[in-house]
Amino acid sequence: MRSVIKKFFSVMLVLVLIFWFASRPQRLAHDDLPTHQPDPANGESLFYAGGCVSCHGEGLGGGLEMESPYGVFRVPNISPDKETGIGNWTALQFVNAMQKGISPDGRHYYPAFPYTSYARMTIEDTIDLKAYMDSLSPVNNRTANHELYFPWNIRRGIGLWKRRYLDPSPILDTGGLDAVIERGRYLAEGPGHCAECHTPRDEFGGLQAARWLAGGANPEGEGTIPNITPHSDGLASWSAKDIAYYLRSGFTPDFDTVGGSMVEVQENTAQLADADLAALAAYLKAIPARPKTTKE
Amino acid sequence: MHRFIKILMALLLLFPVSQVLAAESPQEARHELMEGVRDAAKPVGEMLKGERDFNAAVAMESFQTWAEAAAIFGDLFPEGSETGFDTEARATIWTDREGFNAILLAFGEAVDAAITANPQDLEALKTAAGPVFKTCKECHEGYRVEKDD
Repeated sequence: MRSVIKKFFSVMLVLVLIFWFASRPQRLAHDDLPTHQPDPANGESLFYAGGCVSCHGEGLGGGLEMESPYGVFRVPNISPDKETGIGNWTALQFVNAMQKGISPDGRHYYPAFPYTSYARMTIEDTIDLKAYMDSLSPVNNRTANHELYFPWNIRRGIGLWKRRYLDPSPILDTGGLDAVIERGRYLAEGPGHCAECHTPRDEFGGLQAARWLAGGANPEGEGTIPNITPHSDGLASWSAKDIAYYLRSGFTPDFDTVGGSMVEVQENTAQLADADLAALAAYLKAIPARPKTTKE
Repeated sequence: MHRFIKILMALLLLFPVSQVLAAESPQEARHELMEGVRDAAKPVGEMLKGERDFNAAVAMESFQTWAEAAAIFGDLFPEGSETGFDTEARATIWTDREGFNAILLAFGEAVDAAITANPQDLEALKTAAGPVFKTCKECHEGYRVEKDD
């Protein structure tokens, strides 16, 4: 009997050690950063491509609450306030947050913060983005913590999740042939993080690459998220020009206006250069057409 | 045969009359009016997108359609028409009538300004139509619910 208990605890200990090891936060070191002169102007266009204010609020002071099947996420203050924002962060800390999902004190971020997309950005662009954000006005606002259900409230577990879902390789294989589509892919799959809403998630909250941008039920509640692939359920009838014009003006080809959460997204894409909007449109015409995802 | 044609003609004549005579609900009336506004926006948008050549007369015709709509649109949301007929009107129209009226007024003013400007080239059209489109968006954001077709 005693040896059975002993065995049980040994196995448990090994499992805990494996979990602890496998879920450990992995981050970049100082030597991984390139020497780079930050370019805040480039950072500004990435800021609009990412639509940071849509979640972090006008002024980036945070406070938005996101209801999800895992609980309530409270979006933090990322304004350059030194006390309640991220004004004290180094470039390395910012890059680790954006691309590895690791906080300056070494904890995992929940992927409600879409670092799985930002991981596809170049480090140079990420540093430029920080340079632009540093130029904004600080907002003093202490945000409350997330309120998540078990087992999602165990942060360490995200380390395992990342092993499966944090992969910076691109989704669309362009064959390296078209520079415009590649620029669009970079913006859409990286800073623009389109898929974080437009791609349905699996049971663990990871994006389903096989249903890339095919839309589905709205995880935040009522309604559906549109399919934006070139399928007849999606944007097949939209020309590339239509897509670019929509992102600029907020008007669909039928002259209806943008609605729902996309309003704030579009207000950001409206600030992008013509070439970037054309690139996004080219990308959306180039991805595989997929039928809409129906509710199971 | 002769009689058949007579009946057919009578029916054709009656059809538009019967449409006018049918007492239309405010929900349907405003829906139709909105579709007219949308249809008028299409050619202007196509010019702005570069899909259609600039045409001052066509643009002006759209402005006129909008002006007519702006003049009567506010009357089509009486108490009691909050729901029904699959209306996409949001409750805020009745709970925040002042805000709704203000944005309608802004729409009408932007249209009047566009008519006065009488744009003669694409750049001028952009300047004239931009503020109108802005009011479309603002009003839809605050006072419309989107329903799947």
